[in-house]
Amino acid sequence: MQKINIEDIEYIAMGSTVLGTGGGGDPYIGKLFAKEAMKKYGEVSLIKASELEDDALVVPIAAFGAPMILVEKLFSGDEFIKAFEMMESYLGRKIDAVMPAEAGGLNGVIPFSIAAQKQIPLVDADGMGRAFPRLEMTTFTLHNIPVSPITQADEKGNRNVYHTIDNTWGETLVGATTIQMGGSCAIGCYPMSGRQLKDAGVHGIVTYAKSLGKAILDAKKLNLNPLDSLIEKAAAVKLFTGKISAISVKTAGRWNKGVCEIIGLEDFQNSIMELDFQNEFLMAKKDRKPVAITPDLIVLIDAENARPITAETIQYGTRVVVLGMKANQQWRTDKGIELAGPKKFGYDEKYIPIEELNKKIEDVL
Amino acid sequence: MYYKIGVDVGGTNTDAVLVSNKNVILAKTKQTTSTTISHGIENAIKNVISEGNIPTEKIKYIMLGTTHCTNALVERKNLNKVGAIRIGLPASRALPIMTDFPEDLKKILGKHNYLVHGGYEFDGRLISPLNEKEIKGYLLKMKGEVESLSITGIFSKTLPNQELKVAEWAKNVLGTGIKISCSHQVGGLGLLERENASILNASLKGVATKMVTAFKETIKKLGLNSQLFIGQNDGTLMSLEQVQEFPVLTISSGPTNSIRGAGALSKISNGIVIDVGGTTSDGGVLVNYFPRESTQSAQIGGVRTNFRMPDVVAVGIGGGTTIRIQKEHCQLGPDSVGYQLKEKGIAFGGNVLTISDVFIAEEQLQIAGASRSEILKKEISKVMNLPYERILQKVKETIQIAIEKLVDTLKTDGKDIPVIACGGGAFLLPQKIAGASKVVFPEHMEVANAFGACIAQISSEEEIVINTIQKNEKNELKNLLEKVTTNLLQKGALASSIDVLMKESTPLAYLPGAVKLKVKLCGDFIS
Repeated sequence: MQKINIEDIEYIAMGSTVLGTGGGGDPYIGKLFAKEAMKKYGEVSLIKASELEDDALVVPIAAFGAPMILVEKLFSGDEFIKAFEMMESYLGRKIDAVMPAEAGGLNGVIPFSIAAQKQIPLVDADGMGRAFPRLEMTTFTLHNIPVSPITQADEKGNRNVYHTIDNTWGETLVGATTIQMGGSCAIGCYPMSGRQLKDAGVHGIVTYAKSLGKAILDAKKLNLNPLDSLIEKAAAVKLFTGKISAISVKTAGRWNKGVCEIIGLEDFQNSIMELDFQNEFLMAKKDRKPVAITPDLIVLIDAENARPITAETIQYGTRVVVLGMKANQQWRTDKGIELAGPKKFGYDEKYIPIEELNKKIEDVL
Repeated sequence: MYYKIGVDVGGTNTDAVLVSNKNVILAKTKQTTSTTISHGIENAIKNVISEGNIPTEKIKYIMLGTTHCTNALVERKNLNKVGAIRIGLPASRALPIMTDFPEDLKKILGKHNYLVHGGYEFDGRLISPLNEKEIKGYLLKMKGEVESLSITGIFSKTLPNQELKVAEWAKNVLGTGIKISCSHQVGGLGLLERENASILNASLKGVATKMVTAFKETIKKLGLNSQLFIGQNDGTLMSLEQVQEFPVLTISSGPTNSIRGAGALSKISNGIVIDVGGTTSDGGVLVNYFPRESTQSAQIGGVRTNFRMPDVVAVGIGGGTTIRIQKEHCQLGPDSVGYQLKEKGIAFGGNVLTISDVFIAEEQLQIAGASRSEILKKEISKVMNLPYERILQKVKETIQIAIEKLVDTLKTDGKDIPVIACGGGAFLLPQKIAGASKVVFPEHMEVANAFGACIAQISSEEEIVINTIQKNEKNELKNLLEKVTTNLLQKGALASSIDVLMKESTPLAYLPGAVKLKVKLCGDFIS
């Protein structure tokens, strides 16, 4: 068990932006929300899943909705408490701990506010180890843990409970009502036992996010280059260095799809990288050959200040570094690749682990 | 035939240019910025008029670029007592007003912050209706304790009605003298950033009124009858009435004016502009005669806003930058002697080696009262305890490396592009820079900022979210375009000169049918 204070939230929020791989919503609002709650209710205990009783009840709490809405129609705070309490009364027992559903983006920090307010621990685990655009894309699904019952509340007080036939329907139905709620809401989902979480979670992810954030934010103090310390901490592969030369975006269904083109600099002169994104970055191709493929993590970093860039704020001319990071082992199984691999997002390419893709290139060179 | 005067008030110098209606510079000057800013302005204007020797009644426009508001915020001086109302309950309660403000500023401004029921959804439905009793209750609490009021409503960019209604009630309760800042007129989408901008705007109203009054008096004292304008952060102009309404928009107009001025002087539309002052060299990118904007949210006085500021990268190299050489390493700055060059510089009998001293010794810079080249070279060598030629070589090398890095940082791709020099310290820039197709030192480059103020146009912009399931996107964009055009004509633009700077429709992720529309137009003044 460790105590998380307001200062730690800064680090975790920065690390969550890295794990957001371009999506997941900007954690700025989530960070302020968590800090406000912790100012009022104090520090939060972060525990390992192994510290939980096997029969403990753990519930991931998340913000659900459109990133643009979340920055204009700010949270009331009550929607999260309602989603939480509704789950308790529906299941007829107290929730023992909360956790993030996805550690990437906004939802990496949101659960701290509920943990602080309810004075219960937050588990150092999530169901993605990154951000993904759909609710069913979790390691929990891989372990056949149902997303339902899902509790949903908006800031006005409207509430719903869902029983869906599978986890994909959870995304579909909650997505549809969220629009009627004005584009954002809070949900409680994947209620599970301590035992289930021990088997199915991506463990240590909050601590990991904190260490990534520390690598970036503390580098200056330690007279280190923030980019180098991030690469070292994340054991990341530097896939490319260059400048953004073109961006094209279109909306397909509920997702922003796009391609961002980067012209090479330094060691990558005369090369071009194409980054495909659907909210998150999903495929990186160097000179038309894939060098990183979902579910492995693709992170776009501003070369000037080593801050991660979200897909919504990509701008022509920015000097960037593209990093690749290994996905959690659970994503690299056949089932994992089927749920969040390239085919799921409509790509023809087959998933090849990032270390193999980049070893091959080194061999050719 | 008529004339224009452009004035730029900087930290060190107040520059002015006298320009013909065909944008030809007829006279220019650099004056020290005095503690009473209007004295500097007065002297600068007087100077160009007498030098230009033209009939004063033919000076039709005077354009001022100034740091009054920036300074007030940075120094936390003369700010108004602000009351802030946010319309949106039950939404937004989790993040109070001024959540992320620096503590000292919150202490000065944050005594009357109230969240009230109201607000809209992205598609125009109500979150809650307004409650007149609730709002008037809070207004009564503020009575006599605030000088200006900021009003921010959720999705007021799409529907400003509630903000306007609250403004009306505020005038009933607090009297018509209350200065009001409505967020939908100040910032873009993103509630906290827009609210912050609106609060800063409200806090600056007193400063703006004082500045405008002083500016008017100065002009009157000079016996001029010109129309007056003040520069905005996007390189366009505001009338004095607008400045009093939206003072926060004057912040950061300086770099914009330099970049636009340098583009116009050199007649180069795309390239990199390096503005060298006394302390820093500020590099910006010129795209079609306008500065490229930064993606990062702009911090003003430590407060996060959503203004789009020019993307400027600074390095610590200016005319007054100090030079230190230890062993084989040459260190430039980051400190500068600034306006004390004539006391501290070796060329003026001081004992600090500055970049200006070296260029005076090289006879590439002339300043009255400086030592002659040969004597100065010996003097520099003595103070630094190194052969002069060695020092010169080291300094030039170090400048070269730093400037080349700056150019490389700013460039969008590997292609060589022109670099345009400007500012009072432009003499120190190398004639050749790696990555630059050419380095241009345009005539009048030392007053590019004042010239930039002179050639500025006026602009108008709007940003809204629509639901294309309910509304036709093309019609909505057309309506928005018409609205912005009407605004621009009201501001005094010549209809035939109106140009589209931006016309965007961006679909929003996770919201089928929702589209963000943004339109920005600019135009010339009717002359």
